[in-house]
Amino acid sequence: MGRFDKLVGGIATSGLRIDKPGCQTPTLVFLHGGIPGRTPYASSAHLWGACLEQFARERNVLALDLPGAGATGIPASGLTVDSMIAHVRASLDALGIDRCHLIGHDLGGLIALALASEQPARIAAVSTVACVAAAPSGDMIENKTFAYPPPPLWSRHSQAWALERIAYSHHPIDTALLDACMEGAAGAPHRAAQALMSTAAGIDAFNMSLAQTKARFYETCRGTGLAMPVQVIWGSDDPLGTVDQALWLFRLVAGRQSATQFHLINRNGALPFREDPAAFQQIVAAFYDETG
Amino acid sequence: MHATADVPMPEGHWIDVEGIRTRYYEAGTGEPIVFIYGGNFGTSESASSASTWNLNLAPLAGRFRAIAFDKLGQGETDNPQHDDYTMRAVVNHAAGFIRALGLGPVHIVGHSRGAYAAMRLTLEHHDLVRSVTMVNTGTLSPGVGTNEVVLSRPPFPPGSRECVRWVYERYSYSPGVVTEGWIDSVMHTLALPKYQESVSKIEEERLGMKLFLPQLARDKGETLQWLAEGRLQRPIQIIWGFNDQTAVLERGMELYQMVARHERRAQLHVINQSGHFPFREHPARFNALLARFVALHSEKGSA
Repeated sequence: MGRFDKLVGGIATSGLRIDKPGCQTPTLVFLHGGIPGRTPYASSAHLWGACLEQFARERNVLALDLPGAGATGIPASGLTVDSMIAHVRASLDALGIDRCHLIGHDLGGLIALALASEQPARIAAVSTVACVAAAPSGDMIENKTFAYPPPPLWSRHSQAWALERIAYSHHPIDTALLDACMEGAAGAPHRAAQALMSTAAGIDAFNMSLAQTKARFYETCRGTGLAMPVQVIWGSDDPLGTVDQALWLFRLVAGRQSATQFHLINRNGALPFREDPAAFQQIVAAFYDETG
Repeated sequence: MHATADVPMPEGHWIDVEGIRTRYYEAGTGEPIVFIYGGNFGTSESASSASTWNLNLAPLAGRFRAIAFDKLGQGETDNPQHDDYTMRAVVNHAAGFIRALGLGPVHIVGHSRGAYAAMRLTLEHHDLVRSVTMVNTGTLSPGVGTNEVVLSRPPFPPGSRECVRWVYERYSYSPGVVTEGWIDSVMHTLALPKYQESVSKIEEERLGMKLFLPQLARDKGETLQWLAEGRLQRPIQIIWGFNDQTAVLERGMELYQMVARHERRAQLHVINQSGHFPFREHPARFNALLARFVALHSEKGSA
């Protein structure tokens, strides 16, 4: 599996890339979840784990570190959902990715859906997984999953606590995953994101852009709809989002996009690609078998 | 996207299943997938047969041995012996068919009433089944089906082409999926003397009301009890057409929750813009989901 580092618009940008020689089908582009500097585990392209290599047996694979995560820096405009969307778009340009199938986890799923609205000719299909970030959440009670993390934040045991809280079983939270999370937490992008997210202005800017991105997405769903096949994949036991939220996300997209699918995977939390990688791959692969 | 072309069925064969001359169709080699369609014998407004699966057998035959058969008393298969017009007899015949062909353990796919039969078969004959795929089934799900609400009193004479079209259009999201070929195959079944005999048994002699339905209701209680006790013990996926008005999505969710309590390898898939027959309205999507699921749970493990 190849790590890459590239300057994109002056920002150090990194991720994992595996090219399958001769493969002409749309590249599978993976966008991880987690809010950099705020979610109590340090996410980045590493979060997808071994499933990337499984997918690479069939397709070209690219997994980006989003701004403020892994080794990707933060744009001058700040750490917002909008700056993340713009940076992903610029990264795809810089890396020469034309047609692609976006696979987004949680916040990465919202970014994928937003990018799909902006660039329908480029995005062949969208798969969202545990995408609480895009799901309706009107007047829901506060989710307490991450309410009382053991200090210090982003220490090994604190990150292990966070990941165990959102998985169905603690077994997928292994040494390799925690090593990668520790490496991410020690990196300059994470520390910069943490500094931004420790200020009221930084939090406000992020939250505003999150709300606006969701609003634009809902407007698209009500209006023209998304132009490409979309699927919503969800773990039955995701503590961060209910199955009802998941079904509403599906219903929203399904209203204007005929090729919409919904999938529930049993005994999975918020990390199905790590918790049940074979089932996750089966579902995503069935989707691209049919959508191209 | 919609199946407008009428795909021919693979070559038909006959096999004797404990005295019942049984019609079946198969194509391809590899691990066997056995399809059980919905509906039951003796209905005069529509009639189902193995050709319901014509959009699925040939595409899947590239990788699997795809098999569909006419259930007891339906299509071209003989009517039940001793007027045993019961779901229990249908299940016993289906199990006998798999044994007669020496197929087990198979990947079983059941739709609607056929999903009930496939599940009951699995719960009674675990040795015959490797994985289970259930498609839009009110018969198996806890809760109420709404078929009678949607399909009662067709505005055309029973058994007429118009009536058959009306029934399947009401089942479907898009009326365009009800092709002439689909109706032809239903009309062919309806015209068989043996089928008309089953209609007279079920409707005129009222065996449907006196025998079939009460026994199904009793057995369904037991079947759901078995599921609640965790007797399935096989990988299962539930595939549901989102817009089905007869077996609504809530029925699929309830069924999923019931089996997911005990079976880790449980999945629910919902296909948009599809009524009761997702494998006919979106055959490519359905076939892709089925092929990948079967590959994951194949004899050799993940493909």
